[in-house]
Amino acid sequence: MSAGGPTPAGAPQVGSLNCPGCGASMTVRSFGNAVTIVCESCHSVLDAQDPKLRILQQFHAATSEDPPLIPLGSRGSIRGVLYEVIGFQRRTIEVEGISYSWHEYVLFNPAKGFRYLTEYDGHWNDVSILRALPDVSAGGTTLKYLGETYRHFQTADAATAYVLGEFPWQVRVGEIARVSDFVSPPRVISCEGSDKEVTWSIGEYLAGRDIWKAFKLQGDPPVPNGIYENQPSPMSSNVKGVWTLTAMYLILLLSLAVGVYLMESDEQVFEQTFEFNSSGGGEASFVTDVFQLKGRTSDVELTTNAGVDNDWIYLNYALINQDTGNAYDFGREVSYYHGYDSDGSWSEGKTTNTVTIPSVPAGNYYLRIEPESDPNRGLIRYSVTVKRDVPQASFFGLAVLALLVPAGLVTWRSLNFEHLRWAESDYASPPGGSLLNSVESLADAFKSSGEDE
Amino acid sequence: MIRNFFLVYGLFVLAAVSAAEYRGWSLNRVTQVLNVPRSVRDNPGSYRSVYGSYHHYTGGK
Repeated sequence: MSAGGPTPAGAPQVGSLNCPGCGASMTVRSFGNAVTIVCESCHSVLDAQDPKLRILQQFHAATSEDPPLIPLGSRGSIRGVLYEVIGFQRRTIEVEGISYSWHEYVLFNPAKGFRYLTEYDGHWNDVSILRALPDVSAGGTTLKYLGETYRHFQTADAATAYVLGEFPWQVRVGEIARVSDFVSPPRVISCEGSDKEVTWSIGEYLAGRDIWKAFKLQGDPPVPNGIYENQPSPMSSNVKGVWTLTAMYLILLLSLAVGVYLMESDEQVFEQTFEFNSSGGGEASFVTDVFQLKGRTSDVELTTNAGVDNDWIYLNYALINQDTGNAYDFGREVSYYHGYDSDGSWSEGKTTNTVTIPSVPAGNYYLRIEPESDPNRGLIRYSVTVKRDVPQASFFGLAVLALLVPAGLVTWRSLNFEHLRWAESDYASPPGGSLLNSVESLADAFKSSGEDE
Repeated sequence: MIRNFFLVYGLFVLAAVSAAEYRGWSLNRVTQVLNVPRSVRDNPGSYRSVYGSYHHYTGGK
């Protein structure tokens, strides 16, 4: 292998060598830059820095055991730079007796050097080596890099299980490195430590379809399964926008309420006090004088105030249009009870009842009133007040709810996403507490979406 | 996508409240009866209320 000499810039160059283990022809894509090359035929790990390609290790694996999703030799543009896939490895960690494996692809460009793509369960990351050391907190639960705070997610021992192609380091199957991940979606900073060295790298979450497009791969990328450690939450980016809109709408709603209360006439059109003798017998129903409802079709509010005390009165009402004969029929009960028992004093009901009759056109109206009560009650005094075009606070209350519920749902889904993310970590919740850190994650999302905007 | 939906949704809520206030809608249950005879004014007992058979609460604790 003709290693050494200046690395040519531009498109990747390709050469050919024979494996000293099996004699098979090997394609070499990163002349002078690879440290080890793995023969695809006999799986010999060769020292690329040695002119005789000294065999460093041989491992047994069927060539079809773990075929790369992006074949070696594929070329594609990552962030505007043409890279070629020159190496592939599978690494495995074991957590609570369960093995989890991910794949790493080594990319090479003669001018830009090495870059990596990682894939786990359909989740992809674009990874490059950090040029500066991050600032790790004393407890090791967070680190800062370029002003951004990353939270520790997981630490595990990763074993190299399968290798193929070229690598810029002395790769070995079975080699174990301690890997710690710190996340700040969509980025992740990983620290890989062995006896010899510690390497820091930064990854950014990529959609599989973007990689398929970049490398012009056939078919569809694997469907992502679950939520990955640095997967950006689709909801978090919306939280700020939705709450901003909610605040704006609440201000508009308040302005509308002020306008409605100023503009609606709230005019009293009828008021009279009546007496009902429940023990009097005879026909109880009667009609009132005619009163006029003016203006556009609007609501009518009828308030009954009855002098009931540990008693009730029921009133059958009919608001009848004298000209058209159309009537609005409704019944209202006014009851008020109170007393004192072993639990203390109690009361139930009120002496006042209000009902709103919807969409009543203008015209001349009268009320037919038919009171009922306990036949032994005797005389009950009650007053009836009718108002026209009265603002309805209930609609504003419902509107506030209607505006808050979707914003709350978006927030809840975002918090739930964070909960599911951290359920896969070394912590049951983000380090430092569940709700607080979920809210902090949301705050980060607020910040990042603000930066995006 | 969600923000656009919420933009439209919020405008719909405000429009619905405006319409409810302008048209005088209500959450109360009222029965509309058409063509009540004019004779009711002279003989109120001839009208039978829809809620005449309502079961009245006679409770208290």
